[in-house]
Amino acid sequence: MPSPSQPITPSKSQTASGQALDGIRIIDLSGTVASAYCGKCFADYGAEVIDLEPSTGFSTRRLPPFTDFGDPPLSAMHAYLSTNKRSVLRDELTEAAWANLVDRAHLVLTHNPNQVPAHVSTLSIDWFGSGPYADYAATDATLFAMNGMLKKIGPAEGPPYAPTGYQAQFVGGATAYLPALAHILGCEMGNETQGARLYTSLFEAMLCFTEPAAVAFFNSGLDTDRMGINRFPPTYPLGVFPCADGWLGVTVLTPSQWQSFCHLLDMQDWADVPLFQTSVGRLEASDLIEPRIRDALTALSAEALFYRAQAARVPLARVPTMGELFEIDQFNSRSAFADATFDQSSIKVPSMPFRLHRTPPHFGGPVPRLGEHTEHFQ
Amino acid sequence: MSPLSGIRIIDLSMGWAGPLACRHLADLGAEVIKVESCVRFDWWRSWEATPEWIEQDGAEKSTSFNMVNRNKRAITLELDQTEGKALLLRLVGHANAVVENFSGGVLKKLGLEYETLRAHNEQIVLLSMPPFGASGPWADFRAYGSTVEHASGLPHLNGQPEDLPVMQHVALGDPVGGIAGAQALLTALRHQRRTGQGQQIDLSQTEALFPLASHGILEFSATGREPARGRDRLNASIHQGVYPCQGHDEWLVIEITRPAEWTVFVETLNLPSHLSQPDTGPHHPDLRTYIADRTSLEGAASLMETLQRQGIAAARTFSYSDLLTDPHLAARNFWQWKDRAVVGRQPNPSAPYRFGAEPIPVNTPAPTLGEHNAEVLGGLLGLSVDELSDLKARGIIGSRPRLR
Repeated sequence: MPSPSQPITPSKSQTASGQALDGIRIIDLSGTVASAYCGKCFADYGAEVIDLEPSTGFSTRRLPPFTDFGDPPLSAMHAYLSTNKRSVLRDELTEAAWANLVDRAHLVLTHNPNQVPAHVSTLSIDWFGSGPYADYAATDATLFAMNGMLKKIGPAEGPPYAPTGYQAQFVGGATAYLPALAHILGCEMGNETQGARLYTSLFEAMLCFTEPAAVAFFNSGLDTDRMGINRFPPTYPLGVFPCADGWLGVTVLTPSQWQSFCHLLDMQDWADVPLFQTSVGRLEASDLIEPRIRDALTALSAEALFYRAQAARVPLARVPTMGELFEIDQFNSRSAFADATFDQSSIKVPSMPFRLHRTPPHFGGPVPRLGEHTEHFQ
Repeated sequence: MSPLSGIRIIDLSMGWAGPLACRHLADLGAEVIKVESCVRFDWWRSWEATPEWIEQDGAEKSTSFNMVNRNKRAITLELDQTEGKALLLRLVGHANAVVENFSGGVLKKLGLEYETLRAHNEQIVLLSMPPFGASGPWADFRAYGSTVEHASGLPHLNGQPEDLPVMQHVALGDPVGGIAGAQALLTALRHQRRTGQGQQIDLSQTEALFPLASHGILEFSATGREPARGRDRLNASIHQGVYPCQGHDEWLVIEITRPAEWTVFVETLNLPSHLSQPDTGPHHPDLRTYIADRTSLEGAASLMETLQRQGIAAARTFSYSDLLTDPHLAARNFWQWKDRAVVGRQPNPSAPYRFGAEPIPVNTPAPTLGEHNAEVLGGLLGLSVDELSDLKARGIIGSRPRLR
């Protein structure tokens, strides 16, 4: 039996000084996108993360999109979430093996902390946490409704649009990493003791997007109805515009950015209009401004304008399609996408967005088969 | 005792993302010292400052600034002056980490690159969080949180086929970048604790949004096809919709995730019985019309309750005022009310994680500009009252903004 603190397969990125989270063991009993992303951040930085799965596997194995390899076909979402982890079948462990495994964990991710011995720390990532909504059903989309964001997205006349995907769970999983690692570090520093019960509420994590607006509302009593697609206070121009060669994202906030923007689009006559010098003034005049911007941009190259604008310190950007993301030098030069490997096949997945220079993360990495590491722990 | 007691962070960041990263560390018990300039103060106080704004204490009235800087101490130092920079470097000698989100090239211009900090503290961690990362051809490019959302490609995954790519938020990249920044700091602090080694951290706020777009990114990666806007929800649910209810701009989001919920849903809404089969009902061409006809007769709050009692994920679209009065958040003491200079009693959102039933306390509201100059520079660095007065007289420190 290998030492549990060794990574499964050392990747090229591993350095002689080891990885930042060497020696930490996390067990995931939850198997949600949120817990899996929290665990992935640990695994990609060198912790030993063990998915303790039911015989049918975690539900993330059945999430679209699917690759064309594996039998059944491997979920690309599961692959992304599971790099550098171990998979152990819970039902194939003896009581003693289970107790031994959990005993040596720094943290267990679980919805049921009572299942874990009192001296082992747990983290529960729940939709709502205790309180009146504790038993409410939720999804990523319903949390966008409840955090106040959804009401502002989409056409003014409605219906508003629900953002797609698993965004609430990714935000919550990243958020949950904070108390998790702070607790483990706190134990190492003598500030904390093991056997803690930690909780993260996905609903509260999603309030990160709207807490400034809620506090602003408390002070001003002002709220605005949904203003239309890509229109949000407090500024204009803001949005995504079609250009000759693709989509351009525009944000203009300060007076000097507005003046530079007018020059870029050959609209110098508007550069010094007093009403247009403040973000709120331009927002009020957005129906007047928008047609002219749209006309000007249609004929221009988004790629060329992006570089010209950045040279003038105006924060424009291309809005790449999913395919275009993989062709952008900026992302490729940083290995922003790397191979998650499964048996002999691989798929490109996003890399960790933060890079520690001395102790870099794994870029991509192996994805375990269901139960691949069971025998190591029997 | 808090988890991070004994850790000290120097926060040079401004706006939302960087200060939020440091707020998380402060909530978790680190001592965070926010460093501003009276001339180049945190732009979240205002990006359109005027003499009247200064006269009317505008710098202390930014609710956004106050929301994201609680539990910190604040000093001012003019970093482009020799003495201001020297004092900062002395502080670095007493710190575990420095956080900055200046525009590209500013840190170098100030002479505060990692190598300089390291010369004053071998173990220092430096977190830089530029919009596109600190390496690559776009390393010095500028962006706001909206630009970061643009560059992530995420708007292509929202909306209907006939729409433009649809943004979700005015500054989506900021709070997500802030969380990633806190993750990065903790990771490096753990390595520092174990080995005594410091390091630089490079965080790309655009890459921090890729997980949120991963359903689309992975669709292309796995199949080579661009996901079609609106046609494909890109998740495993059986049905999802946003439906009108009684009242002005009242909507209910309904999502059915399991086949077993479908029949219950059809019965609860009293939909036509020919829709009740979980294999065919969700694909009926007129389904959305049937559902909307039912929901538009009901109040969103009561229909949410009715569906939730049957175990169905349904949620009313909350407004900002709803967040402040929400009974669940109230029962959890989520909003912590604190008196703050100039603006009075304010709601502070709790950290979204807990180490027990109660939230982590907001011990102190956001500091005023330079509030802790004497406490930090006098206490930690041992400057005398005379030295502090001299620094103030020469504009190296202060507590009022000045226009450039």
